[in-house]
Amino acid sequence: MVTLIHRPDGRLADGAVQLASTSPVLSGGRIGVLDNGKPNAGVLLSRVADGLAERIGGKVVTTTGKGARANAATACSPQVLETLSKEVELVLTGSAD
Amino acid sequence: MGDNAAVESDDEILEIVDQSPEALYELFEQRGWGDGLPMVPPTSQRVEEALGNVDGDPEEPVAVLSPRGGVATRRAVAVNAVLAGCRPEYLPVVLTTIRALGQQQVNLRGVNATTHPAAPLSIVHGEVVEQLGFNSGLGAFGPGNRANATVGRAIRLVLLHVGGARPGPGDASTQGQPSKYTYCVAENSEESPWEPYHRWAGVDSPSAVTVHCGENPHNFHDMESDGIERILDKAASTMATFGVNNACISGGEWFICLCPEHAAVADSAGWGREEVADYLFAHARRPASEFRSQFDRLAWADWMKDAEDEELLPMTQEVTNIKVFVTGGAGKHSCVIPSWGMTRSVTLPVES
Repeated sequence: MVTLIHRPDGRLADGAVQLASTSPVLSGGRIGVLDNGKPNAGVLLSRVADGLAERIGGKVVTTTGKGARANAATACSPQVLETLSKEVELVLTGSAD
Repeated sequence: MGDNAAVESDDEILEIVDQSPEALYELFEQRGWGDGLPMVPPTSQRVEEALGNVDGDPEEPVAVLSPRGGVATRRAVAVNAVLAGCRPEYLPVVLTTIRALGQQQVNLRGVNATTHPAAPLSIVHGEVVEQLGFNSGLGAFGPGNRANATVGRAIRLVLLHVGGARPGPGDASTQGQPSKYTYCVAENSEESPWEPYHRWAGVDSPSAVTVHCGENPHNFHDMESDGIERILDKAASTMATFGVNNACISGGEWFICLCPEHAAVADSAGWGREEVADYLFAHARRPASEFRSQFDRLAWADWMKDAEDEELLPMTQEVTNIKVFVTGGAGKHSCVIPSWGMTRSVTLPVES
């Protein structure tokens, strides 16, 4: 019977190699708070964000609502999402009550 | 023993006829593979089983390893983990270590090219220690535990095969050292008075691996003292030797591996890692004149070059180069691990 086994040395690098991304960690991360517009959501989310920032050595850099015309029942404006995606690595938000 | 004519069915697969352990052992030896010890055949089934424990494309690289310039894909690392005897679920720890070894600050080309005996120590932290059954207690650096033994061995096999670190053409170490076979230890978080090392180092993840390229452990013992200063005086005297690279290269790191009983004495005095490091930075010292009489060339920080002859100089230029963690079991033996000098440790979250 023939058995197939793998060579242990693999291929050689040919020029620049794109490495697989690492597992994400929060250490030192920038945190954003997205207030979903429900009563007290901003207070609760901000406290959680502050606690998280302390634990991971990060910083809360943005606290925002969903946009000028948005409310708790509507989607967040694309502009706010775009800004958040540029400014922070982590967003804390809530859904429902 | 049968005649095991291996046929390359493609670039990465070999067809073998005789599967006896002796024939495979012979085949690997003929091809210049392995560390000299018997290995487990990396069949597709075993390799796929290992790969089942990590996310991502098996062909995606996690590092490029010097001096060969070999591409350490998830699959290539898995093949070597199988060869080493790893359980499939160990693969994330092996992959994380290999990724760390590929980081620029490790300077793997230098680690392998030097005549110094440096070997990468993989220190495993967090939940994965218990989950995978690493031994962080009695004999933590010693034999008898599959996770410690085979993860360390897998790392060496990756370096040999993918990295090309074979003694001679790829590894110039004058004498080598036993830890070039396997060098993996686990942090004893349960008996450590301090937060897990990786969290202290700023990696906020359930599990992590630290890589430190250094010498074998240098033991120090103190059976009698109930004061931490007297215990650490032994560590300081072990560090303050001119035989280590860190004596003439001031940028090198030291890992201080305290046993739980020594760590408990430190804790009872209200000392954390920082206080232990501060004490060793202050006490592991020799007069500048002695350094100068021992070495013609000193790779020192500028502030050390200006020292008067009688000034006591530390064994590393910054206190932050002294790192502390807890490992081992009952008893009063701890150790220090000097680095090669021109390498930095790296801590990464365990791959998912």
